[in-house]
Amino acid sequence: MKQDLLLVLSLIAFTSLCDTINQLFLKSTIDSLQFTPKLNIKKIFKFVFQLITKPRIWLGLSFSLISLSVWLVVLSKTDLNFAFSADSMHYIFIALASQFVLKEKMSAGRWLGTGLIVVGIVFVSLS
Amino acid sequence: MFKKKVTFKIFLLLMGSDILETLVHFLFKKSTLETSSGQVADLASWLVFLKTVFASPFLWAGLLTVVAVFVLWSMILSKIDLSVAVPIASFSYILVPLVSIIFLHEQISALRWMGVFFVLAGVILVSLSSKERTEQAK
Repeated sequence: MKQDLLLVLSLIAFTSLCDTINQLFLKSTIDSLQFTPKLNIKKIFKFVFQLITKPRIWLGLSFSLISLSVWLVVLSKTDLNFAFSADSMHYIFIALASQFVLKEKMSAGRWLGTGLIVVGIVFVSLS
Repeated sequence: MFKKKVTFKIFLLLMGSDILETLVHFLFKKSTLETSSGQVADLASWLVFLKTVFASPFLWAGLLTVVAVFVLWSMILSKIDLSVAVPIASFSYILVPLVSIIFLHEQISALRWMGVFFVLAGVILVSLSSKERTEQAK
């Protein structure tokens, strides 16, 4: 049982890492477009078309596909509510990536919040 | 730049992505319930497992919803920073456990709910810290 938990948690960590990489590619692609979308179907389609012509998007999506394949195994092994809460470990990866890769400013409060999320994951895993 | 300010419109977009996100996870879970979980021990059994799951209509409905979330999320990220957008798009942490109880008949212990609320408290704290900084910038 404990081994199962460890395996499931490692698999979830792996999907979180893949998702974070995907988010980074997504963010950098969108920033390169410098597009300010308004709620207008035509503009949304144009925006999506611009997005899918960027190779970086497909690189990001391939990480997403890997993540999905592993995530489905996780879901088959455990309850949805546990898997989903534990998946919030992507916050840690996102916080680190925002700080060190995207160079966004991370305030102390934001780090504290990320810390609370870590505590939450521990509780969810213990139950 | 305006990339840190969360307007009401952006907030609504984030809520929409929450609901769709919850739907995605529900549909994916449904798709894995149709096959016996079995032992996914090696690459071969993993591929067999994936083949069964990808034959489920729930999975494809889930993937369609992912595309919708992707479009919505792309719009959101073009307006605000990733580290601001991700925390606010987190009400699904409450929605997913509720859906799990009501539609999947999963049981959630008090300790697990406590964990969920710690995660949510963290999320709210992260959101508030971004609001403070926006006001300081004015």
